[in-house]
Amino acid sequence: MLVLGIETSCDETSAALVVDGRTILSSTIATQLDLLKKYGGVVPEVAARRHTELIGYVIKEALDTAGKTLDDIEAVAVTSRQGLVGCLMVGVAAAKSISYARQVPLIGVHHIEGHIFANRLSNPELPVPHVCLTVSGGHNMLVYVQESCRYELLGTTLDDAAGEAFDKIAKFFGLDFPGGPVIDKLSKLGNPKVFNFPRPMIKSKSLDFSFSGLKTAVINRFKKDIALNYALPIADIAASFQEAIVEVLVAKALRALEEKGLAALSVTGGVSANSRLREVFQETCRKKGIDVFFPKLSLCTDNAAMIAAAGYARMMMGERSDLRLNVFPNAPLGG
Amino acid sequence: MIVLGIDTSGYINAVGVADGDRVLADFTFPARTNSLEQIVDNIDSTLKNAGLDLKDVEGIGVGLGPGSWTGIKVGVTVGKMLAFSTGKPVAGIPTLEALAYGARNESPLVCAVISAGIRDTVYAACYRFKTNEVTREGDYFAGAVRDLVPLIKEPIVLVGSGANQYRDLLINEDSSLKIKVKALETTPSGAIVACLAAGRLERGKSDNVLSLTPLYLKESTARAFINKYSGGA
Repeated sequence: MLVLGIETSCDETSAALVVDGRTILSSTIATQLDLLKKYGGVVPEVAARRHTELIGYVIKEALDTAGKTLDDIEAVAVTSRQGLVGCLMVGVAAAKSISYARQVPLIGVHHIEGHIFANRLSNPELPVPHVCLTVSGGHNMLVYVQESCRYELLGTTLDDAAGEAFDKIAKFFGLDFPGGPVIDKLSKLGNPKVFNFPRPMIKSKSLDFSFSGLKTAVINRFKKDIALNYALPIADIAASFQEAIVEVLVAKALRALEEKGLAALSVTGGVSANSRLREVFQETCRKKGIDVFFPKLSLCTDNAAMIAAAGYARMMMGERSDLRLNVFPNAPLGG
Repeated sequence: MIVLGIDTSGYINAVGVADGDRVLADFTFPARTNSLEQIVDNIDSTLKNAGLDLKDVEGIGVGLGPGSWTGIKVGVTVGKMLAFSTGKPVAGIPTLEALAYGARNESPLVCAVISAGIRDTVYAACYRFKTNEVTREGDYFAGAVRDLVPLIKEPIVLVGSGANQYRDLLINEDSSLKIKVKALETTPSGAIVACLAAGRLERGKSDNVLSLTPLYLKESTARAFINKYSGGA
């Protein structure tokens, strides 16, 4: 079954064609880098206007790249839950229109379920059940993937997501947005042992996360230096900050695996692209006999292929949405 | 030419069908939760009630705004993607033009005026009607109602929902306003959008389906967000 996936939940406009929830024929993503740099972050109204401009082009590009037309599309899957409301609406408006005009089924998808499927799409051998750590600028969750499309939320962030913490610290030091890739790069030149930043909640039994204390500690340590214009060892700061985040994410994920008695771990979402996170997970998991899986880089950040895959799985279970499909920006993961 | 017309830029959303200038269906509904939930369903039922199928539609007319920024995005996206999916041509129609068109027999000069969301600020445009031609006179206006006063130089009819209120405001703002200002409370009409679109499409004046651009008339207020992100956290 050829599914057209559409994803517009945040600042990336994406469309993809995926066969049987497995084979990606095309995946087109238009980022809004110029706007992100201009405003230093995602401005919801600005992002939503840009989606409206781009949505037609992105869908056409996905079709053309796959060598298909709308005649070949058998279903449309679209992110309708979790994200920025004005942005989500553009994708759903487009998806409904195509579904109606072509008389093909429509399915609304939860953005986080998309990320869970991104890894299953990238690594077909990822077993179910498994524990999934999914982390980005907008979310930071540990999920027990019991069966396909059956989830138990084990932990989530109480304040900032790790990606958000990367963004805010990068902004504080006058670095680019998004902060993750820039800090990842800088850290390779720095020593993570120079500064001992807090690892929030690392010892707590809870599987929840909290990064605002770490962020505040870094800011408080350096705000005077910045005000006085001192030269700072930015690579060491970046490496030390990144190390704190990585340690927390790894510790909590391992604890979750222990609690559930599992040895299969999926690490997904934008932050899963971080090279140090991958390095530490791979080393630690190898030592403990845990199989750890990461999506390929193009499937870590927001994309429509993962939405097509998740939508296909839901449709195979008999689920459908109708033409009254609405958006729910804060919907829980459910399932 | 059978044309489907939609406009989701106002509180009242509109779907209509016209065959050239002959109205086949005209349906309005309040966008209660939002336009998104109801619009495609209502397009389907409006067509069915007129005994038509989407296959019978030969062109699409889309209200471009101004109005609700959210509503505009929904309507423009639905309009362009329906056109793209059916391979039919699309024509974008400024919402104010469609509003003014409804009063073309009342006066040669009609000013369409709608709320811009903030107290006493409006979007407005004036249109002159001559037999079968409609032309906008002057620029689009986005600002305080009082600033419309100097722009009114001849007898005019105000249309739009809230037209009575704006007429009163205009007269209060400038009590020396000697020019006759009449007000007609009107709501959007999908059939008018369809008629206007049919007029353009029959003359071969269609818009590029992928680049069809909304008419917001105002930039978003990004400053508040810049402040939120600057200064650390």
